[in-house]
Order: sequence, then structure tokens, then C-alpha cells
Amino acid sequence: MKEKNPERKTASETSKSQVRDQQDPAAKTSAAVDDPVVQESVSAPAPPGGKERRFRQTDLPEHFIERRRHPRISTEQPPPPAPPRLDDYAAIIGKPELDEIRFLARHLRGKTVKMVNSTAVGGGVAEILNRLIPLMNELEIPTRWDVITGGNDFYEVTKGFHNALHGGEYNLTQQIKDIFMSYNEQNRQRMEFADDLFVIHDPQPAGLVRSKSQTRGRWIWRCHIDLSNPHPGVWDFLKPMIEQYDASIFSAPAFTRQLNVPQYLFYPSIDPLSEKNKDLPEEFVNKVCDDFGIDRSRPVITQISRFDRLKDPVGVIEAYKLVKKYVDCQLVLAGGGATDDPEGAVVLQEVMDAAGDDPDVIILNLPPWSALEINALQRASTVIVQKSLKEGFGLTVTEGLWKEKPVVAGAVGGIPTQIIHKLTGVLVHSVEGCAYQIRYLLTHPEFAAQVGKNGREHAKENFLITVNLKRWLLLFQILLGMARPNETI
Amino acid sequence: MATAPQMPTTHPRWARSPFYFNSASHLLRISREKATNLQELVDALRTCGESSIFQHTFQTLEEHHFINKGFSNDFSHWAFAACNEVELAERLSAIDIREFTSIATLRERLVHIIETYLQKNPRAATRVAMEPFYLMASDLVVVPTPYVARNLEEFAEGIRRVSVHAIYYHFIDARLRLKLNNNDFSVWLELEMDMAQAADRLNRIDIYTSSLEGVRRNILKVVEAEIVRT
Repeated sequence: MKEKNPERKTASETSKSQVRDQQDPAAKTSAAVDDPVVQESVSAPAPPGGKERRFRQTDLPEHFIERRRHPRISTEQPPPPAPPRLDDYAAIIGKPELDEIRFLARHLRGKTVKMVNSTAVGGGVAEILNRLIPLMNELEIPTRWDVITGGNDFYEVTKGFHNALHGGEYNLTQQIKDIFMSYNEQNRQRMEFADDLFVIHDPQPAGLVRSKSQTRGRWIWRCHIDLSNPHPGVWDFLKPMIEQYDASIFSAPAFTRQLNVPQYLFYPSIDPLSEKNKDLPEEFVNKVCDDFGIDRSRPVITQISRFDRLKDPVGVIEAYKLVKKYVDCQLVLAGGGATDDPEGAVVLQEVMDAAGDDPDVIILNLPPWSALEINALQRASTVIVQKSLKEGFGLTVTEGLWKEKPVVAGAVGGIPTQIIHKLTGVLVHSVEGCAYQIRYLLTHPEFAAQVGKNGREHAKENFLITVNLKRWLLLFQILLGMARPNETI
Repeated sequence: MATAPQMPTTHPRWARSPFYFNSASHLLRISREKATNLQELVDALRTCGESSIFQHTFQTLEEHHFINKGFSNDFSHWAFAACNEVELAERLSAIDIREFTSIATLRERLVHIIETYLQKNPRAATRVAMEPFYLMASDLVVVPTPYVARNLEEFAEGIRRVSVHAIYYHFIDARLRLKLNNNDFSVWLELEMDMAQAADRLNRIDIYTSSLEGVRRNILKVVEAEIVRT
């Protein structure tokens, strides 16, 4: 593991003079006095939401209170690590699994794949492609990634479509349809379609399928969004395009629509070697806990999520308060979205108000490059909570499962696919249920350990990037007629 | 199991034909059928493709191979977790897929159990489940592995080295292919190694009270004991 740079700068929204004025020298910990990094950091941090929380008098050592008031949050984005090689996964999935992947790829060697989506950076699809495509190329399946282009009017339309497909209101006019089709047509004219397989991601470039009749390749539509309750007009507009593909792929059975093309299920996946999921040295986990004032001698309950009402962070605080009556524990609510999203800032303030003066509720508004810190927080947790009220697939649940933690999660979206109640985690439907299940897990460590162990195996079997890669190889073989179900290839 | 070249039979520990270890990868297809209550589930079970019955009974065991208790098949789990019909869940979980050598008879058994339950508990038929049941189907593709066994030692080594998917393929999935209450390993031990007793012991390993890794360990115990004995 590459150790995080201890010299990394920390936030500095509060001026040094202000912090000096606030500091009581007698209350400084010895670490703060001796450690220049700490000295720098205490001059820097900003409390979440920009408003300092006041903590009531407590027996908690002062250095924890100080860190909770001024967590050390990094302000510089580290350079991205090099993508892993396939062999790097052998230690995780085992050689037989890797052999199977290589065997499946052998027959596809030289077949070319073109992936098309609407953005090269940001968003889950780009993140997946950035990790998947190098692995396909390593397997000698030349895979290219093209991004469609468009003007602001196109992206306004596709954003509107995105919300409408999630069930939102939308006024679909002929002009909107024309904008969508004309940009798809421009991109279609610009792009070359000479590959064996075309994978078109999400609705934005769906119209490229008009080139299908002029190509020899197979066309796949990969839908990453939930179509369970789409705006009927928008869906009726898109459906004839989707039905021209040879196959479609969805992330959960509940997200699908009736289509006359085969629908395959590809669960979203996590990369066990990414910054957010790779193994971390215990010293690093301790350091992150120290940076954020987390006391590792007592149970830690953690929810990682944006500050968004649909993630129900206030409900998690209410559940924690019910647990706290019986078990001395801490709650960590860590996430982002409160800096660049006005609604996120409002929710963060609601969360801070709900936490009140309880020093054991630690609220961390982290920047987007905090993958290592989030990884460490999850690993330091005794119980992970993802109490969403509405959810897509819920990859933070997958991350918790992978880290062998007992996960308590709302029974919504793709979460029940990941959590088999009381076997790979615990599903809840209310604040009270959430509190009871957390209490039970905290007081029954053997059960919690077994659930965590099962959860990791479930993630390993179904939700890792290597499983996803294998699914792509199988689908390519089936669509190209190289493999027939129930026969040896 | 692939057709094999003839091997020398003079030494008692050489197999007449080698055992070729295969594995299986599967791809999930989303079916059209969906059930929001038990009556709809029965209706779907009557009409769905055989690959859907296979997915939710046989294949699901592989997908949840790490769970060594409390999980039997998807129908039982749904009856328990989404319909809160504990008695029905118990009855469905008691189905032992090893007794079935055809999907048609397994389908009949599932339908019979749910219908019988609904006759006694008619209100349960249309009570809306907390989560719908989405029927899936499985496309299984068989993948050869480099492991071949010509004697017990090589057989034990293969068992140790292959993935759990290979164990599943030969030990559980085999029943439908063979149309026998048996598995590839036992068939090979009996027919190619003349070890009927070991084959029988191996066939009696319980897949419902053990994970697939546990099954692998139990198979190894039987094979290693046989190596010592011979």
C-alpha cells in the first residue's frame, strides 16, 4: 500500500490567528505540541458546514474533542494510482478464477469492442470504464472508449430525460426529441462503427444504434439507471431505439422494463484494488481515526453517504441515540456533496442540528478525493449503516460487505440484492428497527462476525470487477455465437 | 466429463479413464415473469422456462455457496423474508434438489407445496409481498480447467485446486445432466476406479448444512481416507 503523504496540506478556511485565539495552550495534547503536522493542522480545519458545533462537557479526552471540532481533512487531490493488472487480482479471487477469466477471453482474442457513453470524467459509468477497459485490453480484446459530444441544449435534454426516467415530471416536446436525435445523428456520422461489439451506455447515446444495419457487430445497451417508474412519454420515445439492440443489460431486476430483446443482469461492481477498497495497514486506519477524533476503544457506527435526505442521515442519528441508551458508542457520518450542492449544505446543517451537542456524533464533510480516508473509516467501523430511503444499487453497501463488516441497510433499491436478511447483513425499514439491529450486532459480536464474513463472500462472488469482467466475456461469447448455454466452449 | 483416452489398467490405482475437471460460468437473464404475491408465484412457476426453476433452486446454491445454514432456495427465502409465511418457507426449504433429476418434477413439487399451503391459507394467496419476486434465468457455459486426474492422488489434487464453481458443476449441477441421483465424482470413482463405497460416501455429503468449501473439504476427507486405505 502506498502510504498517504503525511505532509498533505489540511483545510484552512479558518485563519491561523483565529485558531490561535481559540486555542487553550494548556489543553493541547502532547502530540499537538510535538508534531509539526498536527500543529499545522490545528491552524487549518473548518468544521462541517462552516459553523462550529459546541460539545457538552464530557469525560472524552480533550484531544478527541479537539479533532472532532477541527478534523484534519486533506485539501489536495492525490495523483491517481496506476490501474491494476489482472494478475494483481490473483491474491483476492484465486488462481482458478483468474484461469477461468483468461480461458473465456482466449476465444475472444482479437475481437474488437467499442464502448460509448456521454462523459469521460466524473460519474459512475466513467469510473467503471476506466477500470474495466484496461483489463479487457490486457486480455487482448482491443477495447476503445468513445464519448459523444453535444451542446448545452443536448445536455439539458439528457439531464431532463435522466430525471424523467427516474419518474420525474417532464414536458416532452417535438423540439426536445429533435435536439436529442440530431446530436445522436451528428455523433453517429462522426464515429466509426467497424468493431465486433458495440456497448452503448445509458440513454444519451442510445440513438447510435441507427448504424446497426451498416455494421457486422453486435449491439448491447447497458442501462445503469432505474427504469422501474419512467416518465411514459420519454420511455415511449426511447423504447423503439432500445429494441433495435441485440441485448440489454440492467443493474437489478427491479430496474427493468418489458422489452423484446434479451435482458441480462450485471450487478454494479467495486474494484477491490481501488483506493476505496484495497487493504490498508492498521497504522493508516489508526492515523485517519486520529485525524478525525475517532476513539477506537469504543464501538464505531458509520454511515458513508452524501448529505442527502434520501440517505436519511437524520434518521441514522435518531437510531444512534436509541442505541446510545444501552451501548456506549460513536457515530460517524461521513460524505460529501455539502460544498458544491446548496441542498447538501442545508441537509448538513439539519444533520448538525440533529446531532446537537453530542460529542460522539462525528460529522465529516469530505472532499471527493477522500477514497483512502473513507476506506479507513469503513475498516475502523464496528457496524456500517446505509439507511437509505431510496437508492440505486447502493455501492457503499457493497464496500461495507467487502470489508467484512456487519451492514445494516434500508430495504430499498438494489440493497436487498446485496443483503440477505440476517445472512449477509441486516435489512431495516424504520429508525427503531435500525436501532434494534445495531444494538443486536454490537452486543452479539459472533453473529456480527459471521454476517460480516458472509457479506464479504457475497461481494466476492457477485459484486467485484472481476466477476463483472467475466460476465462481459460470457455475454460477448454468447452474442458472437462462440458459446451456447449448457455447452462446453 | 469429457471422453477420455484409455489408460493402463494393470495398476489398481490407475483409472480406466481420466477425470477431466470442468468449471461453469453463468450469466443471469431477467425473465418476463414477476410475482407480487404467492398466487402470482404459483402462476409464474407453472409457465416459466426450466432455466428459471434451475436458477432459483440449483444455481442459487452456487451463488450463495458460502452460507452453511439458513439458505436453501430463492422461493423459500422469499416466502420467509418478503411474504412472512414461515410455515411455507420451511416446507419449501425442505426441498432437497439432490432428489431431482429433472426440472419438470422439481417444478411440480414446488407448485404442489405452494398450492397445498394456499388451500389451507387462502388469504395468503393475494397478500402483497414486501418485495416482488423477479424470475431470473441462467445461461451456464462450461469452461474446461487444466486439471486432469488419472489416479486418486491426482483426483485429490484437482479437488484441492479447482474453484468452488467446478465443485458445484460436478457435484450438484451434474444431477440434471446425468439424470441420476448421483454426481460426476461418485460416478468416476465407481465406474473408473471400482470404488463403490467411497463413491457412495461422497454422494451422501450434505450440501445444505455446509458451504461449498465445506463440501470440498468433506470430499477430500473421503478421497484421502481412500488413498490411505489403498
